[in-house]
Amino acid sequence: MFKKKVTLRILLLLIASDILETAIHFFFKKSALAQAEFAVLDLSSAAVFLKAVFTSPFLWAGLFTVALVFIIWSTILSRIDLSVAVPIASFSYILVPLVSVIFLHERVTLFRWMGILFILTGVMLVSLSSRERIAPHK
Amino acid sequence: MKPGLLVILLMIALTSLCDTINQLFLKSAIDSLNFSPKFNLIKIFKFIIQLLTKPRVWLSFIFSVISLCIWLLVLSKADLNFAFSADSMHYIFIALASRFILKERFSHLRWLGTGLIVSGIVFVSLS
Repeated sequence: MFKKKVTLRILLLLIASDILETAIHFFFKKSALAQAEFAVLDLSSAAVFLKAVFTSPFLWAGLFTVALVFIIWSTILSRIDLSVAVPIASFSYILVPLVSVIFLHERVTLFRWMGILFILTGVMLVSLSSRERIAPHK
Repeated sequence: MKPGLLVILLMIALTSLCDTINQLFLKSAIDSLNFSPKFNLIKIFKFIIQLLTKPRVWLSFIFSVISLCIWLLVLSKADLNFAFSADSMHYIFIALASRFILKERFSHLRWLGTGLIVSGIVFVSLS
């Protein structure tokens, strides 16, 4: 069965998953950033680093959001095909760099935006290609 | 190319690889259960409980924890926009695993897409 009808409700869920997905990466980055000066040289210093990161509320906010996205994503996939859902959901490839620039004051060069656009197009093509195989059976 | 970039890229490759393994285990566990396409919150809850009895889910969980730990190390050193873009290399691992381990046949569109992802990662890493 090929489910491709994107209703308004599914579109809203997809937008929500895009935004929450971006929030996950922002939260994780914030939790790691607090320990950025930490020199990780071997496994034992990595353990100390991780222990410090896991006490950060940002990390737990991130993990909570992961669970939330998992539930939203299961709901989306029960109603629509992966080949339709992934291209709409992959806008986080644009949202994450945008959030990095606005809230984390990172620099994204024009050349890098071009690379990001390549990745985004590639991800869309890969997910659309799975539809080719399914399509004859619809 | 900045020094240390190669180490960061290798770590991102490692977290992508762990993520791929985690997804393969999870997929195989989910496929072993049959669930109805009509989902509601109670059914999702029951489904998750059922999943938790599968050892493959725990293997998948262990790999996702390893992946998260490496990811946090990466994020403490690299810009988020770079790390996130480069993390799309799991698409390459999945493509390679599907083609050479599972012997799936690929369409031209899929090769084109994977090629675009590879060149995108090269662009992002060089800038």
